Amino acid sequence: MKFPKWLFALFAATVFASAQAETAPDALVKTVATDVTNVLKSDPGVLGNAAKLRDLIESKLLPNFNFGRMTQLAMGRNWAKASPEQQTALTREFQTLLVRTYSGALANFRNNTIDYRPLRMQPTETDVTVKTVVNQANGQGIPIDYSMEKGADGKWRAYDVVVAGVSLVTNYREEFNAVVRDQGVDALVKQLQSKNK
Amino acid sequence: MKSAAILTLTAVAALVLGGCASFRNAAPGDPLEPINRGIFSFNSTFDHYLFKPIAKGYDAAVPNPVKKGVSNVFQNASDAQSIVSDALQLKGAKMGDDLGRVMINTTFGLGGIFDLATPMGIERGNEDLGQTLGYWGIGTGPYVVIPFLGPSSARDLVGRYGDGKIDPVALVSSVPVRNSLMGARVVDTRVSLFPAEALMNQAALDRYTFMRSAYLQRRQSLVLDGKRPKEE
Repeated sequence: MKFPKWLFALFAATVFASAQAETAPDALVKTVATDVTNVLKSDPGVLGNAAKLRDLIESKLLPNFNFGRMTQLAMGRNWAKASPEQQTALTREFQTLLVRTYSGALANFRNNTIDYRPLRMQPTETDVTVKTVVNQANGQGIPIDYSMEKGADGKWRAYDVVVAGVSLVTNYREEFNAVVRDQGVDALVKQLQSKNK
Repeated sequence: MKSAAILTLTAVAALVLGGCASFRNAAPGDPLEPINRGIFSFNSTFDHYLFKPIAKGYDAAVPNPVKKGVSNVFQNASDAQSIVSDALQLKGAKMGDDLGRVMINTTFGLGGIFDLATPMGIERGNEDLGQTLGYWGIGTGPYVVIPFLGPSSARDLVGRYGDGKIDPVALVSSVPVRNSLMGARVVDTRVSLFPAEALMNQAALDRYTFMRSAYLQRRQSLVLDGKRPKEE
């Protein structure tokens, strides 16, 4: 039987893609963090260059976060109160805010080393916490945990980052909740927009 | 009694300011929000005009190795305080670590100027009396913003008072030296908060809510030694 070449290629590509998609969550965090620190080390100018920095974050970091889930969790019960348009706007603005905050924080991370704590997980698990410790120059280690979830496509994405016990999602949930309670969903969208200007 | 007068004034100012702040439905854990917000805004103003400029001046004027040494000395004092809380929580391993740290850093580290214990892999226990109360089941109590000092809680306020009693710096007998040390420690702490402050300013919609949430989460995590209860 003659096996068409293109079919073989397609098959190979599929296998490759699924192998890629099933990168273990801890390996993924490590790869991404190593990639980003390597870029910052080899080209320190990136930190002073807003466009380059955004490129770096958009290409390396963004694909590994589930901003929809993050926004939904940060909204908590208020998510249901938002219209689909508001939900889209919230997710977009929240993503922008986080990217900006992250760009600012990256400068502090250049000279740090990261320890990765071993992850014990069952193959069937779809929600895990990857634990890392960022060692600062002053010898203090900051624990940073990534809550990660396996998507329908088999790819792991982070939906919360917990720095020294402080969850980003929980922090924003209180902020969002206060605004929505007092002023409504639209006000929250507006506040995020003006914060991002 | 100058400081008492200042405190009273601050409390009054805070109450007045707090009364002006719009009343919202109190967040859980923060029944004193209107008063707290008043003190928070007082603290921010005070910080902006006096505290931060001093810390910035110190940060710019003093060479890094010196700043590092100063931080280490205060860290060493706080490691010594931590021993008491390690013991009260029956955490033998942490107690051994803190004891070892203080002994090594005080002797070979020349009074704590050099932190030799960290490179040796001896981690800080990082305990205090507020955490100790939490460890034994005392709840956080209402969130409290302290004039000049910032976020705390009813429980941590009690812990802080106790920690003050066993603070090696407070035990220095010469008053001018003690006061200078306390002033230097405040400046050192303020400098160490620069990165966190920058992050908060970028990230927060409302700095008060942001700081409250971060503080309470951080304290809970410290009480649980980093073991975080899974939500939902």
